[in-house]
Amino acid sequence: MSSNGSRDRTDGACVSCLRRGWLLSALSGPLECCARDRARLLELLALSDGELLRAAAGRRGAELRRSYEQFPLRGRDDAGELARDPDVQAICRHRDGYPRALSGPAAPRALEVAGGARRLARLTAAPVVAILGSRRASDYGMEMARGLARGLAASGVSVTASMTDGIAIAAHLGALDASGASIAVLGGGLGVGCPARRRSLCERVRRRGCVVSELPRDCHGRRWGQLASERIVVGLAALTVLVEAEHTPEDLAPARIARALGRPVAAIPGRVTSPLSRGTHALLMDGANLVRGPRDVLELLYASGARASEPDATPAPCGVGSSAGLTPWLQATLERVGAGCDTPDKLTRAGADTAEVLLALSELELMGLLARGDAGRYVPRQSLAG
Amino acid sequence: MLARAHTFTIEGLHTRHVTVEVDVRRGLPGFAIVGLADAAVREARERIQAAILNSGYEFPARRITANLAPGDVRKAGPGLDLAIACAVLAASEQLPPQRLERVALFGELALDGAVRPSRGTLAVAQATRRAGVDTLALAGARAHEARLIDGLRVTVVEHLRSAVRVLNGGPGDAPPEPADEGTGEPSQLDPGAPDRITLGADLSDVRGQHHAVRAIVIAAAGAHNMLLSGPPGTGKTMLAQRLASILPPLSRTEAIEVTRIHSLMGSRVDSLAASRPFRAPHHSITAAGLVGGASREWVGEVVLAHNGVLFLDELSEFSRQTLEALRQPLEDGRVAIARARHSAVYPARLMLVAATNPCPCGYAGDGESCRCREADLARHRRRLSGPLLDRIDLLANLQRESTRDPHAPALLSSAQAREQVACARERQAARLAAEGVTVNARMDGRMLGRYARLDERGEEMLGAARLRGLLSARGEHRVLRVARTIADLDGSERVRARDLGAALALRPDVGLMGSRAA
Repeated sequence: MSSNGSRDRTDGACVSCLRRGWLLSALSGPLECCARDRARLLELLALSDGELLRAAAGRRGAELRRSYEQFPLRGRDDAGELARDPDVQAICRHRDGYPRALSGPAAPRALEVAGGARRLARLTAAPVVAILGSRRASDYGMEMARGLARGLAASGVSVTASMTDGIAIAAHLGALDASGASIAVLGGGLGVGCPARRRSLCERVRRRGCVVSELPRDCHGRRWGQLASERIVVGLAALTVLVEAEHTPEDLAPARIARALGRPVAAIPGRVTSPLSRGTHALLMDGANLVRGPRDVLELLYASGARASEPDATPAPCGVGSSAGLTPWLQATLERVGAGCDTPDKLTRAGADTAEVLLALSELELMGLLARGDAGRYVPRQSLAG
Repeated sequence: MLARAHTFTIEGLHTRHVTVEVDVRRGLPGFAIVGLADAAVREARERIQAAILNSGYEFPARRITANLAPGDVRKAGPGLDLAIACAVLAASEQLPPQRLERVALFGELALDGAVRPSRGTLAVAQATRRAGVDTLALAGARAHEARLIDGLRVTVVEHLRSAVRVLNGGPGDAPPEPADEGTGEPSQLDPGAPDRITLGADLSDVRGQHHAVRAIVIAAAGAHNMLLSGPPGTGKTMLAQRLASILPPLSRTEAIEVTRIHSLMGSRVDSLAASRPFRAPHHSITAAGLVGGASREWVGEVVLAHNGVLFLDELSEFSRQTLEALRQPLEDGRVAIARARHSAVYPARLMLVAATNPCPCGYAGDGESCRCREADLARHRRRLSGPLLDRIDLLANLQRESTRDPHAPALLSSAQAREQVACARERQAARLAAEGVTVNARMDGRMLGRYARLDERGEEMLGAARLRGLLSARGEHRVLRVARTIADLDGSERVRARDLGAALALRPDVGLMGSRAA
């Protein structure tokens, strides 16, 4: 299916592009050493095959070059392996279905796609937004990411994220909440790149959307694979949104990649005192777009004003869910939770009746406007309409 | 000649009636005890011989065989001494054997013939009455314990000579004043001694944390199992220790059950237990320590907490195996222990109160100070979740209060809470009388359908919760049970939406996981 896929030019991958994937997996060790320096890793990934072999193979150069030249033989085995799973297809940059957004020297040459190359083509035809952030996000960050993804997925925007802990997981969950599709980029091959505890989520993403990787099925991406996958996530997207990020090179790497590609970056603000928002605040200071919810993202995507024709004179508070049909008491409770009175104790301290407060909290939770976070603090959720 | 006497042996929490048969005949002088006797009973030979001689009687220089029937029951402990000695005296015609049939004898002999008290007197007294023997003769130090059982004649015998007098138709000794004998038992190891930590603790000591205080009152009112979760230093342990002060007093049946367990575990019991047991084992406890089964004489903490509270502090530090062992007692209110050489069923109707940090570092949800990785959190949750969390009805989250006021008012005092709890329990007992349970926590699905009917708005909320996947079938039952208790505390015969709302806010299934769980 791979090398003789000339009958249909929208999917399939040519041998030279598959060979690139094989080469990357063969060079996994040296690349892992380079992963300490992100910029260097990206530079290496931008090299052509020959240059990459020279730069990274070291003493194994001659041996690897021989295998590299014999690759088509092995390649048939790989293709056979792929063909056994009808849901997994390879697609390379020479096919029409390949995401146009993945251009530039450092972009991957071929992708393995679980969920089908056609679906990937369909998903990337719509605007794509990458949602990224810290792996150790707070409840607030998780809820914001989830709500954002939910809103975007419901508006027909494709969400993409890696499969790492924290914000990325919340983004996929949000898209699934809205029965939408998301694109997950794994840091390793499709067979081994997903950690065991995320396998069920991965499967759910794959059922509606795509799970992609640039590495062969059985290649453990290790650390460099994660970094490399971030460049695919950002590369796929028209807009990169960071939800919560510490002020560390690790958390801010997606923003740097996006800027290098000339793509816009947006960030969701948090508390000034929270270390988890320092990175996003630094981005905002640097001119990143401030995002409060799906509506802001849509405005960025479709240029300001494109959707402002909605008959909505008073802008609903972004970030807090839709308030339509709420009694004044529920509305007041919701707003107080959003303002930081997030525990029953804080809410009752002002003298409100406890039973009424708990009833309101439960009702809001049942409406999907509040979620119970860690340690029983309530977190506002963004509703679909947000 | 042959003589027969009655006594009892203790097997875990159970007593078995033992008939002592002594045969004295001509032959090579010797004294053999047969009938599955353990070491303490075999040693009785020496004690009995010395005691008989030192009391001025004659120890027959003939062949003596003592048989302990039934032969398949293992006899343990020194409490059989008195009965064997009296049977020997009767068999050697120093004592009329007729009365031996109507008196049960229980006690250990000293070498000078004095009778020492043995543990488990209360249980023996109960068993004596059940066996149809009308008099129990035992040492004075524990006589008041046996007197707690109605309809049993208790005779005090302080010495082997007194026992002979009683069996000759004479009077028993005068019982000592209950307080005069101060045995040097360290009270810390004594399950019957009131817990020093809980003694004098009052709910009004807890400042702030009204949500959690309310939750613990609800738990006490419905005997719901409860989990306290919060960062270190927010008062989880403090609250749990105050639980004992708001629980309703023991009923007479419950008190006898509790006292019986204390007595069997060797503590001095002067009167019926007044307060509910509060057991707080350290988290290094093993499964055998918790449910029993290590040896047949010792029972686990869950049994010692019968009719009371079992408090597990730092729940996530307990070994998984230990926590798994709690499933049966929490479900059935009893423990069935089966080992290679013995098996037993013990009562363990208890209220579980557990405390835990919300995450390994303890600060999850407390500002942004939690530094746990996702994998650590997952491990923490795995330890807690599953079967044990399934049996917990209530979750109270405690937060570190940033605007902590040292003079923050306490919500209510133990006395007030106790009153509320007692009222709520009365309502429950009256409602559930026909069902054979007394508290809401023991209601099953059928009873919930009958006694915890919701109003219209409540039904709507429950439907919404089901629809959103917030509640499983079991979770729904738990929420309804708690809602029923909240309504009872409020004095409402119907479960209203506000009760359900509060119960939903206290439901345990998601809170621990937080939104981070994916």
